[in-house]
Amino acid sequence: MLTNQPLGPKKVVGTPIPRPDRNASVQTYIPEIAKGLAMTMAHFFKNTKEMALGQRNDPTIESISDGINCVSYPEQRRPYAERFRGVHRLTHRADGSPRCVACLCCSTACPAQCIHIEPAEYPVGDSRRGYERFPARFVIDELRCVFCGFCVEACPCDAIRMDTGIHAAPYDSREQFIFEKDLLMSFKGRDGSQLSENPRHEPGDPTYPGVTREHGGH
Amino acid sequence: MTLGTLFLLSLAKAFTVVVALSLNIAGLLTWVDRRQGAILQDRVGPERAVVWIPKRIAQGAVAGPAVLVAGGALALFFFSDAEGVTRTTRAVLFSHLAVFVTWFTALVIAGRIKMRGVKNSFDRFIASVGDPRRIFYVGLIIHAAIFLSLGVLKGTPAGETLRDFLYGAGPFVFAFSVLFGAGYAAQRFRHERAGFRLIGLLHPAADGLKTIFKEDFIPPGGDGFLHKLAPFVSFFPVLVLLGVVPFGDTLCFGSDEQGKIMLSKLLATVPRDGICPTSTLDAGSAVHAVRLQVLDFNVGILYFFAMAGTGVVGAALAGWASNNKYSLLGGLRAASQMISYEVTLGLTLVGALMIYGTIRVDEMVRWQAENTWGIFVQPLAFFLFFAAAIAETKRIPFDIPEGESEIVAGYFTEYSGMKFAMFFFSEYVAVVTLAALTTAVFLGGWHLPFLERDGLHIAFGDKEIYAQPLSHGAVILFGVLAFVGKTVALCILQLFIRWTLPRFRYDQLMKLGWRKILPASLVNVLATGLVILAIQSGGPAVQSLMAGAAQVTQWVIAIGGIVLMVWFVRFLLKPAEHRRVLASSSAQYAASMGGTRTARMGA
Repeated sequence: MLTNQPLGPKKVVGTPIPRPDRNASVQTYIPEIAKGLAMTMAHFFKNTKEMALGQRNDPTIESISDGINCVSYPEQRRPYAERFRGVHRLTHRADGSPRCVACLCCSTACPAQCIHIEPAEYPVGDSRRGYERFPARFVIDELRCVFCGFCVEACPCDAIRMDTGIHAAPYDSREQFIFEKDLLMSFKGRDGSQLSENPRHEPGDPTYPGVTREHGGH
Repeated sequence: MTLGTLFLLSLAKAFTVVVALSLNIAGLLTWVDRRQGAILQDRVGPERAVVWIPKRIAQGAVAGPAVLVAGGALALFFFSDAEGVTRTTRAVLFSHLAVFVTWFTALVIAGRIKMRGVKNSFDRFIASVGDPRRIFYVGLIIHAAIFLSLGVLKGTPAGETLRDFLYGAGPFVFAFSVLFGAGYAAQRFRHERAGFRLIGLLHPAADGLKTIFKEDFIPPGGDGFLHKLAPFVSFFPVLVLLGVVPFGDTLCFGSDEQGKIMLSKLLATVPRDGICPTSTLDAGSAVHAVRLQVLDFNVGILYFFAMAGTGVVGAALAGWASNNKYSLLGGLRAASQMISYEVTLGLTLVGALMIYGTIRVDEMVRWQAENTWGIFVQPLAFFLFFAAAIAETKRIPFDIPEGESEIVAGYFTEYSGMKFAMFFFSEYVAVVTLAALTTAVFLGGWHLPFLERDGLHIAFGDKEIYAQPLSHGAVILFGVLAFVGKTVALCILQLFIRWTLPRFRYDQLMKLGWRKILPASLVNVLATGLVILAIQSGGPAVQSLMAGAAQVTQWVIAIGGIVLMVWFVRFLLKPAEHRRVLASSSAQYAASMGGTRTARMGA
């Protein structure tokens, strides 16, 4: 195709950007450093003295100053939402033992794989032996936890809950984030209870709806 | 001197140096660094680091020391009668102190009134002055008037009367101003609790404490022992370096028959020549000299090179022991950089050593006091030394070993908690140490122009135009204050360099070190040798010319220093327009509703 444009690189149109003047003062570096230092100093001392003498407001500080939207955190706290997912707790039965039956649903559902359960059998002669297990160890690594709440959804026994209203505290070492069973059972819900609203119907209770070994005869 | 006294004295000196210089100034540097920070938490942190104190205790904490200081000044006047030079010194010191405290208090009060508006007749009186700089000018004029009239009337009966008047009036005005200022500050506490913030200095302290409780992490594949050792190896040298830096002139005490020091007998005056001559004492007693320097070393500056060279080991060890490629790169960079600049650091001082003819740091300062400051005889070496010193501290623009944009955090990538903090401390303390050393070698150490060991002697040529004898303790005190002031100024200059300059590229750093600074320092050595040779073979005419030039530099420093200070205070006191900026939408909303319960904003 024939065009009127000449061969060679295309001509650049527009105003050229002025290049820095490479004179002796720029190339020796020292005068430019002095200029830069003078500018930094002028700004610093001016800002600091205006702040100290109250001649100028600091928008950064002011936007959080008293009476505007500042919460002095440890003394004042904002209420958490009703469904806020905090640190886990293990709910109790009426006799103080954990409701957990060590079914491993929560540790299976956990996407972060932060729950570790060692199930154990009840001793011989206990009416629950062979019927349900209990957790000999129940460990949650709160540092791995992503607070998704899937464990709570997965639990068939309402044994694990995240309604403590406590957010994970910053500890000094990784070991302190490993929450063992005793610690998890010591937390209370936000209503102060360690039980669950759903009553448990133990085998042998008159309210127990299901089939028992005695009924089933096997 | 017994071993016990020696031990106690050394301990006291080490404590003074470490606390007064490194930790205080390092804390201040951190604060100033924070002040420059653009991150919200850096700006808010110092504001939020607060200890709440009940109102009464806060008032006591403000008024108590003021009552003690004022009472002390009055007690000194009433219960100890001074004669001769001590009387003059006290008259001069207390009158200047009184004038200073008065104008300073008035200025602060004027500033507060400007901030919160006029409320009563006293406020109206202060506000009627207008521009607060007028208070400063009036104070300056009174300072100059006292200074000049004491000098002009010296020796005449009128001068005696004036001195006695100042000797009596000084402590009273001083006590009144201190008490008035403290009382004004104490009645300002209106709420039940007062926040103790210390201009935000609690924040660096809290940061330092916090790191002690943080997790101490050692990378699984790393060398545990070397990983623990490295922070100590890099912290130790910069701290002990302060040992050879003299922070004041030699103190002269009286000593008993056995030659033991008597700490209660500080000499009233010492003559101008010699360090601690015995002639001023009563017959039979001797004089004991206490150098204000922790380590009284005869190798002085060589110890500095030895210790500064050890700093490399810490960074290199940290890089090696972390089992991390970024750490290793950082350690290698640190080692090569510090070794390269070590050479320059040593060679720039060779010129200074040739002129001073000594390697003892306190002798260097004494040479500068007798002749002229090192920066005038070795200007090129001063700049080269300062640049190499910044490279030694591994700070911007030479912070290649920890270049965040390239190698995470360099040699301390794998460090946490207090061990990480120790690398940071060592960096900040190195800033203070190198500033102190630069002050001692190039900026005259404790020396102030015209301040001799027996008082102020302003001379022009051979003619002394103003003489004001001062007591020994006052002269030493001024010296220590001058040294600290110069050190702080150099520290601040290093911080400003950090905030101003971008980081060098690695090859630029090496080129600058080996192809520019090093040859320049060699040329400096050659030039210094030639000039010394020329002066030595020049005869008495050249000698007297040099002496005249040395005196000119003293005048330059004195006048330049005063002009700079007055200009700076004038700049700091310049009134500015108070504009309220509402940054956040919630603040704008609150303002549109006429403010909140605690902050009324005019509707």
